[in-house]
Amino acid sequence: MTEFLQQIVNGLTLGSLYALIAVGYTVVYGIVQLINFAHGEVFMIGAFGALATWTVLFKGQHGLWVLPIMVLGAVIVSVLTAVVMERIAYRPLRGAPRLAPLITAIGISIFLQEAVRLFYPGAKSKLTFPEIEVVSGTALQVGGLTIQRAAVFTVGALAVSAVLLWFFVNRTRLGQGMQAVSQDPDTAQLMGINVNRIIVIAFALGAALAAVGGVAQGLLNSNIDFRMGFLAGLKAFTAAVLGGIGNIQGAIVGGLTLGIAESMATQFIPGQFGGSAWKDVWAFVLLILVLVFRPQGLLGARVVDRA
Amino acid sequence: MSTSTPDLTHGAGHGDHDDHVTVPLLERFPGRGSAAAWPLGLVGVLLLVGGTFLSWSYTGDVLGDLSINFYPGGVQICMIVLGLVALAFLLAHRGPLSRLGDWLDSAAAVRNLGLGAVAYMAVAIGVIAYESGGLINVNPGGWVSLVGALLLAASGLMLVSRQHKDPLFAKTTSWLEICAIIVLMALVLFGAAYALGIGDGASFVLFLMFVAAAATALAKSGVFTWIGLIAQKNRPVLMLGAFAVAFLFPFTQGGSDENMSIATQVLIFAATALGLNIVVGLAGLLDLGYIAFLGAGAYVGAVLSNSAFATIGWKPPFLVVVLVGAIFSSILGLIIGSPTLRVSGDYLAIVTLAFGEIFRFTMGNLDGNNGPDLTNGPNGVPAIPDLNFFGFDFGQPHNVAGITLGRFANYYFLLLVIAAIIIFVFVRLNNSRIGRGWVAIREDEKAAEAMGVNVFGLKLFAFAGGAFLAGMAGTVKAHHDVSVTPDQYIFLESAFLLAAIVLGGMGTVAGVLVGATILKLLPEKLRFIADYRLLIFGLVLVLMMRFRPEGIIANQRRKLEFHEDDEDLAERIEEVHLEEAEAKA
Repeated sequence: MTEFLQQIVNGLTLGSLYALIAVGYTVVYGIVQLINFAHGEVFMIGAFGALATWTVLFKGQHGLWVLPIMVLGAVIVSVLTAVVMERIAYRPLRGAPRLAPLITAIGISIFLQEAVRLFYPGAKSKLTFPEIEVVSGTALQVGGLTIQRAAVFTVGALAVSAVLLWFFVNRTRLGQGMQAVSQDPDTAQLMGINVNRIIVIAFALGAALAAVGGVAQGLLNSNIDFRMGFLAGLKAFTAAVLGGIGNIQGAIVGGLTLGIAESMATQFIPGQFGGSAWKDVWAFVLLILVLVFRPQGLLGARVVDRA
Repeated sequence: MSTSTPDLTHGAGHGDHDDHVTVPLLERFPGRGSAAAWPLGLVGVLLLVGGTFLSWSYTGDVLGDLSINFYPGGVQICMIVLGLVALAFLLAHRGPLSRLGDWLDSAAAVRNLGLGAVAYMAVAIGVIAYESGGLINVNPGGWVSLVGALLLAASGLMLVSRQHKDPLFAKTTSWLEICAIIVLMALVLFGAAYALGIGDGASFVLFLMFVAAAATALAKSGVFTWIGLIAQKNRPVLMLGAFAVAFLFPFTQGGSDENMSIATQVLIFAATALGLNIVVGLAGLLDLGYIAFLGAGAYVGAVLSNSAFATIGWKPPFLVVVLVGAIFSSILGLIIGSPTLRVSGDYLAIVTLAFGEIFRFTMGNLDGNNGPDLTNGPNGVPAIPDLNFFGFDFGQPHNVAGITLGRFANYYFLLLVIAAIIIFVFVRLNNSRIGRGWVAIREDEKAAEAMGVNVFGLKLFAFAGGAFLAGMAGTVKAHHDVSVTPDQYIFLESAFLLAAIVLGGMGTVAGVLVGATILKLLPEKLRFIADYRLLIFGLVLVLMMRFRPEGIIANQRRKLEFHEDDEDLAERIEEVHLEEAEAKA
């Protein structure tokens, strides 16, 4: 039983991370039907943004008060990257055959990885992420369960982000505009909504959450590297599909489900095919199974089929 | 310098620019339309070519040897060729070749050649100055050629295009067409052999600039339109010619294994990309895990080989292995394709990507600890012996007509056969009912289904067929590479394959060959950018999608898909099709 609960805890941690990234895929896909393949790189750049903020401003400091500023730094860097990428690479391709933006996305992804590897000092190998009081350090012991401090931060960050996101989408004019555009861009434009602005906001929103995820990943693993975005992005996309692409609640539910499923697979699949060596395989097998049996995802996709 | 009316410079005496409202930047040059333009161009060519016979560099160790008068080096010969081509176009514009000028936009060609020559000379002089320590070491010849290039460019910018007919409608005799193809093929062979033989990066960049300048000039003048047309008309000749060139290539290398190794890699890469081109280019299914099918074939080839590390005791003859690898690969294709081909295109892309990762992880895990021992995990299967066909050992050099052909040359010929099979399959499928079905699916799946095309079946066939061809190539790759490890089959390799197709031109054979050659050859030759290779690669993908999404050598129909509002292009394509239909009737 303890083992089971322990895996739930691990799964929730991992799942919160996936959910934070998955929101970015789903928001953008819901509005422009584009798989922003480079979103994983935005997440990675968020982590490097946080590290850079710390290195430049607070090197040697470990108080909890630096954390909000690191998160802010991460968010700024990620949002800038995402907005520039939308403006330069994706916007000119709107209306092009769908192959074109996908290939552009692969190009951006490779470009961003290499840019970080080559131009961030020391990024050719793993970089140590700073330890912050309260959220890093010795794990908490709660009734026989081991809970990493960073895990508490990750789950908490997801909870706060989810509430803010819900508020933004449902209670603000911009959020309402976003919903309108995702339902019918042409009509939304006729109703006086600036579609371009909404698209930029969708990219920025996803990037902000991914940046928070980047910081969480840094704290969890205590090191970051330029390759971390690829697999995380792929998993997060799986989570988005699992929940139902285009559906924001779906992304969060999908992320948590995927995280828990992955942890369970590590622990409970017997014999040689269990264990951490196979957990990525099982995550992707899950993606394929979902697409076969329930392509609309757990909570139902909110996307009109245009194909 | 008197500014005359455009009529004076027009050989045919037609004003053709009256209807143009917006003038491109390149055509706003002062003195445009002046009568001095043409003689200026001749002077430019004279100086450009004349300068190459003089010494360019004081020291003899930069860019080959450019320091000897009246003995032009390779870098200089490029400029002689470029000058002669420019001369031909100038004479086509006005003078003895002016009948040619009725069909080709000679002014545009001269403009591009001139600008290309200026860039070439600037870089050449820059390199000489940089490597020998100062502009002082650039000898007069270099400056003379630079002035010539500048004059040629100015002349090109001042020349006004004559009215010309569309080369698509040129009626040429077939012997001329065949000669043109043969000349083209010979140029390709010579150019490839020459390019591979270039040792230093700077000379290679200059050679690329020369090729780029010549190619754009020929494209702008309309020569390529005509070549595309005759290539279509004389397809068998072209194919034979291309294979003759590819076959003769090893004989130009004089037994050097270094270049043959690059050429063999290019061929493996091109053969795989051609298989992917069936899936992506014809059927329009974006497969981001295609490398896994190559990997599947390679692993089959490895574990069924005579390697001491092979885990399966069965050692069938190689032809059986090829078949087993190809079938295994296509079964994987069926397994992954049958559930996912029902979902829309983007999902397929991600699922195939996930499949590629599953494949890589699985191959890395089957090491006896995390699964059954089949692949030796991350270490892979090393020490795969060379192929041996009826006593013909692929590992040993052989002598043919006094020329030594090394190990890589042996594999090169085998891969050539495989590439030929893939191209044959590709072309025959493309012209069949199946190929038309694929194009219909690619362009509008729902409409195709409504017209009675078996959408699911055809998609699955494309997917499994592509996997079959990749598996086939994979079994040879295992022997060629000597070892097979999981990290040879990462996602980036799939991205490279896709890039070869996108870069070269989707759905065309020539495009993919060009794309594959560029992607494999450039990193080998440009070692000084090695660290920035991927950065540039990513950037090129983005720029390519932005500015020329149809690729370098575009399929006309595909081109139209990316430029839907280009009515001019649509009309031209339609007219040609009508003409062809009439000719057949």
